[in-house]
Amino acid sequence: MTAMRPDRTVPPAPGRARAFHFPPFLRHTLANGLEVLAARLDDVPLVSLELVTPGGGLYDPRGKEGLAALTAGVIDEGTRRRNALEIATFVERLGGSFGAGIDWDEGYLATGLLAEHLPAGLELIAEVATEPTFPEEEIERLRKQRLTEIVRRRQDPGLLAEDRLAAVLYEGTVYDHPLHGHPETVAALTRDDLVAFYRACYTLHGSRLIAVGDLDPEAILREAEARFSSLPPGPPPRPEINPEPLPGLQVYVVDRPGGAQTELRLGHVGVPRTDPDYIPMIVLNTLVGGKFTSRINLNLRERHAYTYGASTRLSPRLGPGPFVVDVAVATASTGAAAVETLGELRRIREELVEPHELEETVSYVRGVFPYTFQGASDLARRLETLAVYGLPNDYYERYLERLPAITREELLTVAQRRIHPDHMAVVAVGPAEALVPQLETLGPVTVLPVPG
Amino acid sequence: MSRSTPVDLGFQRHTLDNGLRVVLHRDPRLPLVTVNVWYHVGSKNEQPGRTGFAHLFEHMLFQGSEHVGTNDHFRLVQQVGGVANGSTWYDRTNYYETLPSHHLELGLWLEADRMGYLLPALTQQNLDTQRDVVMNERRQRIENMPYGMAGERLHELLYPPGHPYRWPVIGYMDDIAAATLEEVRTFFRTYYTPNNAVLSVVGDIDPDDAIVQVERWFGEIPAGPPKPPVVIPTAPLGGEQREVRPDDVRLPRIYLGFRGPAYGRRAWYAADLLTATLSGGKSSRLFQDLVYNRQIAQDVGAYISPYEAGATFMVVATARPGVAAEVLEQALIEHLDRAAGELPAPADLERARNRMLTEHFTALQKLETRADVFSQLTTYFDDPGGINREIEQYMDLDGRELRDFAAEFLVAGNRASLLFVPRESHP
Repeated sequence: MTAMRPDRTVPPAPGRARAFHFPPFLRHTLANGLEVLAARLDDVPLVSLELVTPGGGLYDPRGKEGLAALTAGVIDEGTRRRNALEIATFVERLGGSFGAGIDWDEGYLATGLLAEHLPAGLELIAEVATEPTFPEEEIERLRKQRLTEIVRRRQDPGLLAEDRLAAVLYEGTVYDHPLHGHPETVAALTRDDLVAFYRACYTLHGSRLIAVGDLDPEAILREAEARFSSLPPGPPPRPEINPEPLPGLQVYVVDRPGGAQTELRLGHVGVPRTDPDYIPMIVLNTLVGGKFTSRINLNLRERHAYTYGASTRLSPRLGPGPFVVDVAVATASTGAAAVETLGELRRIREELVEPHELEETVSYVRGVFPYTFQGASDLARRLETLAVYGLPNDYYERYLERLPAITREELLTVAQRRIHPDHMAVVAVGPAEALVPQLETLGPVTVLPVPG
Repeated sequence: MSRSTPVDLGFQRHTLDNGLRVVLHRDPRLPLVTVNVWYHVGSKNEQPGRTGFAHLFEHMLFQGSEHVGTNDHFRLVQQVGGVANGSTWYDRTNYYETLPSHHLELGLWLEADRMGYLLPALTQQNLDTQRDVVMNERRQRIENMPYGMAGERLHELLYPPGHPYRWPVIGYMDDIAAATLEEVRTFFRTYYTPNNAVLSVVGDIDPDDAIVQVERWFGEIPAGPPKPPVVIPTAPLGGEQREVRPDDVRLPRIYLGFRGPAYGRRAWYAADLLTATLSGGKSSRLFQDLVYNRQIAQDVGAYISPYEAGATFMVVATARPGVAAEVLEQALIEHLDRAAGELPAPADLERARNRMLTEHFTALQKLETRADVFSQLTTYFDDPGGINREIEQYMDLDGRELRDFAAEFLVAGNRASLLFVPRESHP
């Protein structure tokens, strides 16, 4: 092989781009209200099945925080036909996995297994969804496990910071608690609570069966019709979440004497996933803190070396999830890191971004889209987003078209409307003695102990 | 039961004149390509007192090279919709860019530039910054994390001074702080040679075109001298090691570590299959007994890592509040003794094998995993085709081999126990 000596001084020109198209999928709402989304992906002999219900933390009643999580924890620990071990063994002996869980917007029952075992997966999902028995002894066992999980969480400085931030930003709304609840509320939950939550939130309307893999989508539709019709119609009425913005910067230090580093969060209430500003916010967030070459990471990591990495994130939820800056810093640099971060957030709402920054960011967000489609679970997650947020079938194509139409002026307007550096909660988990003097110039400081 | 047909991944392999081994695999499912480079150097190649070097060096490779500016590596990749990263481990360091496939040459250019033309970009200022970044990485991932010191301490208990698996990949804080620019340069010349590397290009490519491009970008990089050998002390552990460590945690946690067989040996696969019978899933033996029935553990897991000079087999469990660490430790040891004395139940073995099969297919869905497996098998065994055969190792094993592994390796004289306990209970 002989080759021409390459010109190394400039990046090589690209070849011809091959288009990416969102994979075809079936989407249909049955007469009984259950929505079905299914896609064939047959490159490997696997299937991924998921029943997504409204049973998420959003529906936790006041005083019963953690109910959605405990209900999901116990739902697969006993049915009219099988006990907890039999349920676990049924799919695991086939090499598959089965699990139930929640996030803010949904409760889910999910299984992943070899395609030849699809009927077993469907059978088990349907059985657990429609015939759970919530045995008392399983509730007690899971309750102890969840209470232990809360203890474990309090060892972790990053999680302590997250919990404090949510409590401050969302005080008085359902988003103010950790999804797994508080020790006192978890301790007080009863079997009746779980059964009532199950009946209210595991409903036909508002639920989706999502199936992706080496399967026939039409067959999934028929199975869905046959297997889930005994669920109650629903859906539950959705609570409103309208937290008051903070009047100014508020600083909270969770005292962890002897911590080797400080976990720092800055946050305020953001926009719901369905808000028209969400797409420009994706671009804005990526540019400010959502990629390695973002402004905040280049500033805090590459320019100042305060940290291993700094990032910002949106939290896609039905209600207004938080916008958060996330950074673990050398304790002595905490005040400086907070000041630099706030400076970057102010700058984004005072000046137009540079043309090349916008171009690079939009190109990144668009270009990386196909990368998020590797495998059945990736595609399932995209379909889930369409379903849970009620987005149209062509949403992602429109999203890819919308991105390059975003202008610098639009970003500035959105930043001024949606980024609030003077109304943030600043939470630092680390040694208070060292942190308070660094942070008290920002605003009033409240020092708290690690919860007991 | 019937078995799903294995996926047979085709590939081309080449060796350039400078010794660079190249694996090309066409996977046209998505318009993506991943450029994956493995250097056969890790923390194992460091010296006591100079630890953390391989990892610090990985950071320096993202600081530009002769034709790539300081922050331009990530910028150039991200602005076309690509992602990039690297990682360092005991035996190897890897790097990748996953790009829209028409940007394949961008990835090749970036990797070739830092393989062949790095030295002009190695500056004191970049080194100073990355030393601080890495010290913060160590604080974040190890020192400030509950049980974060476990891996480091367990290896110190399992391997004697001078053994290359004794020190942590990220290095000790003092060693990171002391790294000099001249050492970084020497490290580059010694280990970052084409003859010590494997390049896998996986994705929507035409392999016949790709090899021409690979040759163009990498072909003129000169081969380097052979690297210095690593001496692995062969003396056995020679007796149980045990440490109780009061720490800033609320739940006790037990780590049991054992020296194991080298990755690639049949006994290694037996060990891996044994971990799948012991843990993983609610119907596994350890979960059923310790988490579900006796409720003395919050979680439990068994693992073996693919180290090329002898793996570390590890069992980890977190205790429930009020359960003494020693009680859980004893329960874990009893399970391992049983694995050494009895054949695994046929149902456990079937579950473990099926689980391996599911995990195998799941992993192959991802382009970057395919590339990593090609590079790994080529780096350690010069055998990229192993990607299609490795799964058969698990299917062929029988219960006796799992028992024999446990009887040989999971014994007290080959064990290190590390017990994290809440500080207040051990003043």
